[in-house]
Amino acid sequence: MTPTALRFLVLGLTLSALMATDLRAESPSDADVAFFEKDVLPVLKANCFACHGSEKKLQGGLKLTSREEILKGGESGPAVDLKKPDESLILQAINYDGIMMPPKGKLSKSQIDILTKWVTRGVAWSEKAAAAATKTHDVPVVDDEARNFWAFRPVVRHDAPQVKDASWVRTPIDAFVLAKLEANDAHPAPSASKETLLRRLSYTLTGLPPSPKDVAAFVGDQSLDAYEKVVDRLLESRHYGEHWGRHWLDLVRYAESNSFERDNPKPFVWRYRDYVIRALNADKPYDQFLREQLAGDELDEVTPDSIIATGYYRLGLWDDEPADRPLAFYDGLDDIVATTSQTMLGLTANCARCHDHKIDPFTQRDYYSLLAFFHGIKPYGGDNEILRFIGDATARERQATATADWEAKLAEVKKQILAVEDAIKNKLPGGEIDDFKFDGKRREILRKQRGKLISKDDHDRYESLHKDRNDLERQRPRSLEQALCVKEEGQPRDTFLLLRGNPQSLGDRVEPAFPSVLQASNAKPPELPAHREGSESSGRRRVLADWIASPTNPLTARVMVNRVWQFHFGRGLVRSSSNFGYMGAPPTHPELLDWLASEFVNNGWKLKPLHRLIVTSNSFRMSNAVTKSEISNLKSKDSDPENDRLSHFDLRRLSAEEVRDSILAVCGNLNLDKTEGPSVYPVIPREVLAGQSVPGRNWEKSSPEEAASRSVFVHIKRSLAVPLLSAFDAADPDSPCPVRFATTQPAQALALINSTFANEQAALFVRSLRREVGDDATACVKAGLSRVLQRAPTEREIIRGVKYLEDNVQQEKVSADEALRRFCLLAINLNEFVYLD
Amino acid sequence: MTANFCGRTRREFLWQTGGGFTGVALAGMLDQPFFGQSALSAEGAKRVFANPLAPKKPHFDAPAKSVIFLYMYGGPSQIDTFDYKPTMIGRDNETIAVKTFGRGGKKNQGRIVEPRWKFQQYGQCGHWVSELFPNLAKHVDDIAFLHSMTADSPIHGSAMLQMNTGKVQSGSPCIGSWVNYGLGTENENLPGFVVMLDPRGGPISGAKNWNSGYMPAQYEGTIFRSQGTPILDLARPAELSEAGQRRLLDTLREFNDDHAVRLGNDSKLAARVASYELAFKMQASAPEAVDFAQEPQHIQEMYGLNDKRCGTVARQCLLARRLVERGVRFVQIYSGGAHNDDNWDAHGDLKHNHDLHAGETDQPIAALLTDLKARGLLDSTLIVWGGEFGRQPTAEYEKGTGRDHNAYGFTMWAAGGGIKGGISVGTTDELGSAAVEKPFHVKHLHATMLHQLGLDPDRLTYFYGGLDQKLVGVEGAEPIREIMV
Repeated sequence: MTPTALRFLVLGLTLSALMATDLRAESPSDADVAFFEKDVLPVLKANCFACHGSEKKLQGGLKLTSREEILKGGESGPAVDLKKPDESLILQAINYDGIMMPPKGKLSKSQIDILTKWVTRGVAWSEKAAAAATKTHDVPVVDDEARNFWAFRPVVRHDAPQVKDASWVRTPIDAFVLAKLEANDAHPAPSASKETLLRRLSYTLTGLPPSPKDVAAFVGDQSLDAYEKVVDRLLESRHYGEHWGRHWLDLVRYAESNSFERDNPKPFVWRYRDYVIRALNADKPYDQFLREQLAGDELDEVTPDSIIATGYYRLGLWDDEPADRPLAFYDGLDDIVATTSQTMLGLTANCARCHDHKIDPFTQRDYYSLLAFFHGIKPYGGDNEILRFIGDATARERQATATADWEAKLAEVKKQILAVEDAIKNKLPGGEIDDFKFDGKRREILRKQRGKLISKDDHDRYESLHKDRNDLERQRPRSLEQALCVKEEGQPRDTFLLLRGNPQSLGDRVEPAFPSVLQASNAKPPELPAHREGSESSGRRRVLADWIASPTNPLTARVMVNRVWQFHFGRGLVRSSSNFGYMGAPPTHPELLDWLASEFVNNGWKLKPLHRLIVTSNSFRMSNAVTKSEISNLKSKDSDPENDRLSHFDLRRLSAEEVRDSILAVCGNLNLDKTEGPSVYPVIPREVLAGQSVPGRNWEKSSPEEAASRSVFVHIKRSLAVPLLSAFDAADPDSPCPVRFATTQPAQALALINSTFANEQAALFVRSLRREVGDDATACVKAGLSRVLQRAPTEREIIRGVKYLEDNVQQEKVSADEALRRFCLLAINLNEFVYLD
Repeated sequence: MTANFCGRTRREFLWQTGGGFTGVALAGMLDQPFFGQSALSAEGAKRVFANPLAPKKPHFDAPAKSVIFLYMYGGPSQIDTFDYKPTMIGRDNETIAVKTFGRGGKKNQGRIVEPRWKFQQYGQCGHWVSELFPNLAKHVDDIAFLHSMTADSPIHGSAMLQMNTGKVQSGSPCIGSWVNYGLGTENENLPGFVVMLDPRGGPISGAKNWNSGYMPAQYEGTIFRSQGTPILDLARPAELSEAGQRRLLDTLREFNDDHAVRLGNDSKLAARVASYELAFKMQASAPEAVDFAQEPQHIQEMYGLNDKRCGTVARQCLLARRLVERGVRFVQIYSGGAHNDDNWDAHGDLKHNHDLHAGETDQPIAALLTDLKARGLLDSTLIVWGGEFGRQPTAEYEKGTGRDHNAYGFTMWAAGGGIKGGISVGTTDELGSAAVEKPFHVKHLHATMLHQLGLDPDRLTYFYGGLDQKLVGVEGAEPIREIMV
């Protein structure tokens, strides 16, 4: 017993001997009970219940979770003395008067005041509130109730509901949305303007702004299917895949370097990025897309693309000199389990690595059974572990010839070196003959003999042979037709449950199995292919892939349609789009979610029909603004500040990539020719490079044209982010990113007002405007604003812009070009440019 | 789903998962009356900037308001600095059995490199300090030494990450980000978490050492330079005067106001307008903080501002004090950068290496302690000194004095901010090779730093990836109470 506890005990005994225990519960006033619930209970819960609540960790025998227990007290006696409340032990303790509770640090003055008031007013209590506050969360069990949780149940296709205003329903989606609004006496916002809709469509499908020409064409197109035509055009544009590919890259923590000390580039990683873009543009069925990434090397038909797809396994962190190798090996597997379960299944399986999941019905055994599917994968490492040749027969032959040529050349140089050495070997003095046995010493010995046993000319020739050899050794022909991909050890490892996640404490042996909550209780374990002699892989990942990509998997389609919804509407029907577990947000429109999931699967897991269905709905076409006033007119408790009911379109800030690409686009410099291949390197300011241990290392130089490519082609180096992209909340690539932040902070303003990038782009904007409309101020302002706002500017805006130019020329005494440059800089800072409504 | 899960309200939970920091976040940060009011007002957007870094109340009253983390990158040798091992003296080159683990792997024996500097006792407490730190040594009565620190990795990359983020893997927020998240900043015109780098280069893993991992970017460290423009993009372009910029911002706002009215005065738009005003103010505040001309001559001299050897660290330490005075929560200064002998990583010539880096830091750090104390700021400023690990008592190679890395036991120290002075806690064995008495892990140091700022390390959580993440790990950690006042 600690001295403090002993004092507590002695003091308590003395006090309890002196007083007559009064356990009668007086009936407290409503105000006191309210005070207890609102103010006291949170303090107790946050500071006391951990040690004076649950039976498990009870300290000093004192429980503070009921009035009776408080008055009874613990080893030190009653915590509260109703006769002399001021002298109550609990008050001494929280005032650090002899006893010091909580031990972590004294409560704040206001917290002490709250407890003091509560004690002196008679310890008012509310059983109901206290019970709710002290309820502990039992580890969830996998039973039929768990299997019946909405996300784990099979998808059920509901018919579109009946609605009062059937005229508003353009696609079945609208019926689901409207039904919910009508049920709450709310109305959908009217359709947004044509300009707004074109802008919304362009960004949501391609991540790029519409050009003034696009705007004019659409506004002028009075045909009934003008909107649908634009949707089709944008879905066919290759920029669709570039934009939606970026969403997928977030989810698979795509980066092009390994992190840690060297943070070296990953070879050929960009092929994975190109694969994703290609797959989306070709509308590759999502089930196939997943199968290729998980098991592209184990499919019936293995193609270069399916090999590239398995680069999925190689995108994570890699510590090339871990302090604890077994742990690092399992960290790598955990990264794969976490990414696969969160991204493809909406499950946080990674929480069950060290113990059963605290919240979801997912056991530690489930975790290791899932891990077992991946257990044969060779850890990240050198080229042999991670690269595979993907060229055709001709390329293979070409590579073989190049390698043979190179080997022959190297052999010849080595032969010539040896000839010189052999000629001199036997003439050397005693000690040096011994040393001469070592390849590394010979050059040094020959240097000493220069002009003696070997002529200066011969020695020069010898040295130049060495130089040739060194050069050649560095030039081993490396095929460009290689892919970063998964590889397995021949024989899969045995998998054990690791107690507390520790690789040194093996628990039960487990076999590959699917999460039990997603299986019938009597389900048999999956059948695994028999190990084939000489086979490079176990075939286990194929089994997992087939299960994940199955139409009967309750999560896969739901999770994906929810993501598609999220990227169109700014939030998913399930807001926690990578967490469909108990802790996740329940769907705001559960029936719609299931309807979309079943529609998706019925359409052969194709995304483009799904996009079409969503963006042609009236739900997608609602305006943002109008219903705002409607919201505020409602009583606060009836209002829907989070727009859960989808009564209007949510305003959203452009993503980091959209901001950068849009600046380049409106300033007339976006390079859309780059469609694939190794990444580009925009200029990073010297001050930022100075943060590297070798400033500038592995940040190559791209030409200005190349550097102006779309952001999806910008190199992603884990330890060095492009400042503009990181300021606007680009994904941190160390783990999967399901939802981007959309922060508002001064660093963004500084980047768009003061950075070299913004100022240079503004200057290029001027040149582009001058080329387009000449020197006329009004024409320049009009054209500039049309590009930035993607609508016709109003008269008021044009006048304001022209006045700004004149004021600059007259009062700031700058040239007309500089005045226009400032206006262009202003334009790319506009809220309307950076926000999408 | 319960209304209050894991201590977070449903709303908080929502914006941390589904909504990101979008509309829901603002609705959460601005109180309801504001929401209704702003939506109702027809003219002129309310310029309320719900600064996510607005100051927040700590969990409990605590002595420290800010932290200055003096990061000795590369790993200083404990037995040559503060961990006095008299029995090692005179045993140079003796081969002994000792378990070590460094970049050269695990070894069971080694050749002693005896401490290369003389030690002497200082202060009331009589703590032994080597002649590497003649100035700092005078402050031992204000310092608590932790001689039994341990870390999980003896490799720079992962060990740096652990010292800064608590994890040996990248992707988690740094301690400065956690503090920013937990307490906000007292001065919205300056960043809340400032990092100053060695001019020779950044540390290994660069920005991973000050980035906010899974938290939003506003919590990441801002690189602050002690010369020139302190922050990236802070300076106006040369061709734009202050009046010119003001005109630009005013016209920008006119456009934005029209737009806001059309969109029902959405609070997100108002926040962005306000963030431009804040940026404008930062342009004045940050340069003011680095204006050393405001400091009297004797202060400049005390730090060694014009000293060739220690001038850089002197500027950084003085700037740290000025930032702390202006309400910055967390300042981290890197002594050492880049690779090899450009930092404390003494694999080659120990004498050369440590003379260099101690020489660069001794006077400025001592001056910082003196200065803070004189201004009454030491009590509210927690100073922490140390690297990602220490060094071995034995030689790394056959020849020479170079020492390999050592995470089995090393010394760090803390001062101010409610830390007891003149004490030492924990010990290493007689060689100084491994912690024996009261070993402390990095997480205990982190817990202590949070605790001194009034943050409960077990309650400072951030929901991410299905888990309530903590700086000190899911299992929690106790602060080191022995060194608290």
